[in-house]
Amino acid sequence: MNLSATDLCLTVDGVDHLRKVTATFEPGRLHTVIGRTMAGKTTLLRALAGLQKVDSGSLTRAGADFLRTPVWRRDTAMVYQQFINYPHLNVFDNVAFPLKRAGLSRDEIRRRVRQSLASVGLADFEQRKPSQLSGGQQQRVAMARALARETGILLLDEPLANLDYKLREQLRDEFKALFSDQGDTIVIYTTTEPAEAMMLGDVVLVMHEGRILQTGTPQEVYERPATTTVASIINDPPMNVFTGRLEGGQVTVAGFQATHVSPHLADLPDGAYRFGLRATDVSLAAGGVEGEVTFVEISGSETFVHVAVGESPFVVQIEGIHDVALGDLVKLRLRPDRLFAFDEQGSLVRTPSYDLASVEGR
Amino acid sequence: MRSRLYPVFKYTVIALWACFVAGPFFWAMTTSFKNANAVQGGPTYLPWAQYEPTLTGWRNIFGGAGGVDVIDPFVNSAIVTLAASAISLALGSLAAYALSRYRFRLGFIKNSDIVFFFVSQRIMPPVVLVIPFFYLLQWGGLLDTIPGLVIVTVALLLPIAVWVMVDFFNGIPREIDEMAMLDGCPPFQAFVRAILPNSLPGLTVAAMFCAVFGWNDFFFAFRLTFTEVQTLPQAVVALNSSIPPWWTLSAAALFGVAPLILLALWVERLLSKGNLSGAVR
Amino acid sequence: MAQLDIVDVGHAYAPGAEEERWALKPLQLTFESGRTYALVGPSGCGKTTLLNILSGLVTPSRGRVLFDGVDVTALPTKARNIAQVFQFPVIYKSMTVYDNLAFPLQCRRWDGARIDAKVRHVAEALDLHDRLKQPARGLTADDKQLISLGRGLVRDDVAAVLMDEPLTVIDPQLKHSLRRKIREITEQFRPTVIYVTHDQYEAMSFAQEVLVMKDGRAVQQGTPEQLFEAPSSTYVGYFIGSPAMNFLAVGRSDGSLALGGRTLSAAWDIPHGTTEVQVGVRPEYVKIVTDPGHNTFPGRLRGVTDHGAQRVLEVEVAGQLVRTKTPREEGIPAGEEVLVHLPRAKVLPYADGQLVLQS
Repeated sequence: MNLSATDLCLTVDGVDHLRKVTATFEPGRLHTVIGRTMAGKTTLLRALAGLQKVDSGSLTRAGADFLRTPVWRRDTAMVYQQFINYPHLNVFDNVAFPLKRAGLSRDEIRRRVRQSLASVGLADFEQRKPSQLSGGQQQRVAMARALARETGILLLDEPLANLDYKLREQLRDEFKALFSDQGDTIVIYTTTEPAEAMMLGDVVLVMHEGRILQTGTPQEVYERPATTTVASIINDPPMNVFTGRLEGGQVTVAGFQATHVSPHLADLPDGAYRFGLRATDVSLAAGGVEGEVTFVEISGSETFVHVAVGESPFVVQIEGIHDVALGDLVKLRLRPDRLFAFDEQGSLVRTPSYDLASVEGR
Repeated sequence: MRSRLYPVFKYTVIALWACFVAGPFFWAMTTSFKNANAVQGGPTYLPWAQYEPTLTGWRNIFGGAGGVDVIDPFVNSAIVTLAASAISLALGSLAAYALSRYRFRLGFIKNSDIVFFFVSQRIMPPVVLVIPFFYLLQWGGLLDTIPGLVIVTVALLLPIAVWVMVDFFNGIPREIDEMAMLDGCPPFQAFVRAILPNSLPGLTVAAMFCAVFGWNDFFFAFRLTFTEVQTLPQAVVALNSSIPPWWTLSAAALFGVAPLILLALWVERLLSKGNLSGAVR
Repeated sequence: MAQLDIVDVGHAYAPGAEEERWALKPLQLTFESGRTYALVGPSGCGKTTLLNILSGLVTPSRGRVLFDGVDVTALPTKARNIAQVFQFPVIYKSMTVYDNLAFPLQCRRWDGARIDAKVRHVAEALDLHDRLKQPARGLTADDKQLISLGRGLVRDDVAAVLMDEPLTVIDPQLKHSLRRKIREITEQFRPTVIYVTHDQYEAMSFAQEVLVMKDGRAVQQGTPEQLFEAPSSTYVGYFIGSPAMNFLAVGRSDGSLALGGRTLSAAWDIPHGTTEVQVGVRPEYVKIVTDPGHNTFPGRLRGVTDHGAQRVLEVEVAGQLVRTKTPREEGIPAGEEVLVHLPRAKVLPYADGQLVLQS
């Protein structure tokens, strides 16, 4: 019962929205599609749902042509980024709407509506109209409606993007529990946030400018990003990427002193590379290279310090929240053992040695 | 400067405007209770003090001697207005929904052009339209019949309905129809079950416009009906003669606008209760 | 730039309501000249009411508002000499960028040369100097919002800049850069800024001082670091930081705190007789260790969440859940039984939901 897309293409008014998108979505798994705004994530979901026609390519469900199946027979539920519910119906009837269309018995409808409202924590809100609910509650109603149908395909288009941080944190945890027993449903979840993709997904698809750049488990994508673009998308803050040279056992990065090459890069041929280093692997430390603080942002419990070393921008992630003034001079140190090496086209050639095997063995 | 005189000024302007609007009603009201002598004696406004009120005018319009019966024209007007409004709303919402949700392209003609085309029918002077209408109805054998008048009135009201509803549907998020389709409704069902119930405010406004324009139409009824069918505006005008019976005319006019006043009051109450707002945010 | 004082100001929208139900409970605040402040809290916390009192849109039910010591409580907005940036950009669409910025000065009858110099200076800072002749209509939402800000900055006598959720209508992609821009500009022009938002991280990224509000009260005022390191209540501990601060109910034995029958030392002592004692410790400071020791408790690993560079481990200690954030490179402990260390200096005592101050 796989859902397979092959070479889906869509161009609207000269802008490419989907470029040869090929992907297979499997029942019982949660797929997160991560990408920046306008990467084509929403278009992809709409194409899978049948709400958007594609120019070319094929889409099959369990081997049968899915493109010819009209929206209302695709057995698909969708949760939108905006909180979309039927304004004229109360919470109970909102959730019951698709069940009535499916011709279920009254008792069965009541049972399923109650069950799914309870699972999103809205059991006491059956009689309210959507307009009488907060944003978080409205999104829970949409979620309950999607879950109650027990469809074969469940699409979620950045469902948390319009919610407050604390609520997002809470719903993310709830979603994790909700999705864990989805049986044979294919769940596809789009997001711009790496943390969301990492914690929710069984499979992560990285999308950029209408293309799928990489597909894999969160571990694989995070630890072996295929290109610099993937590395930047899957890390928050984006991975620092800069050019450098490897020569005679030394790594040279503009502005920094040459350091001895760390063992994981030792057997690479000499030459120019693009190096990647996570913000957590750059530190503010005495004796490093001096740079100027250009911006500071706080996210969750972390402080992201943006530092310019000459012309090159770096982001440093520090645990906890710290007052750093703009314009301060700070010392930066890069961890050579954590360098990712990419070739000049941006394709991955070497990763630092995380012990993947021991982690995946769990 | 916002002096202390500002509120005085403000309320004076409002009061003057209210007199300007309500004055003719008051005038018609007093006149309808006068007789020939009271009318010719110059402007008088206060019953009993300035003139002796009678019911002559009102008796005349309900079949009294020397007057006409307005009941039949009233019924005709009601049938034409209700039927034409209902048809216009039904056809108009469907057309408007299509125009709001689907992209049409006929050469250089786009959706907005089609909407303009609808509305443009109302730009033309009625005199231009009435001749083709006359020949059309004649060809169909519908001159001087209620169905004929209904068809013509629909042609007049449809642009209003389309125009109001396109704007309203554009304000309803597309995602609602999409969701209804995902929830298992084919497009027409999605329209009926998910969009129409949320369109009550738009439908009410469109219905009100249709009713007002339909009810008040004189020109087309005047040109396309003769003896068999007479609408209320025609009946009122028919009362006119070389010496206008002002009291009867006034009574007929008041009787004619009464349904519209009731309709306006009802819609106003709906609006103030908030029943129409907030259906879609 | 002016110092803004809020003296015993409270507000009730319904007259005669009891104080418990006031939209803003009486409070005392000082906004120092040239500093940036953020008012943050969930909707209905009173932050917008406070902003409206400062702008003059709302006259408080009681108390006084002072601008540089001058009582402005009864003055309308236009007499207060403040600049405002709203959720939706307020600009004159038909005017050019230049005219939009010059308008407030023309209204004040400045002479042409002085206006020109000032407008160019501000436009430079806003990065709009190459688009001065463009009509404002065609600009993107974030540029329009910059003009709204710029119209306040051209007046150098402006007492304060008030911003009400200025990033609401900005694309997520551009939010970051606009926030950065606004912060850079305020660092350059140093106005007194009061910035209202419901987003705690936006508040902390932007302001030098953050005022957390809840139910019409100012719960805590401090630098972002202070809010993080020493939340004055369990609410702030939950509201600031992700994941939220851990709060553990603790008992007492022999005059010291106890968790699951073992002694727990907090950063400082709690006076005797307090009920409902909890300790708060940030997930960042909780450590998984291998050797038993002081403030170290046995626990069971209940869950692991991968956030990328960090993992959040959920450990059950004495029947309560403790979250700890560990760098990815440390991996996941083998086996379910773990030892959790709570460093004494980071374990803060709370009684009845409030931080117990060090005596």
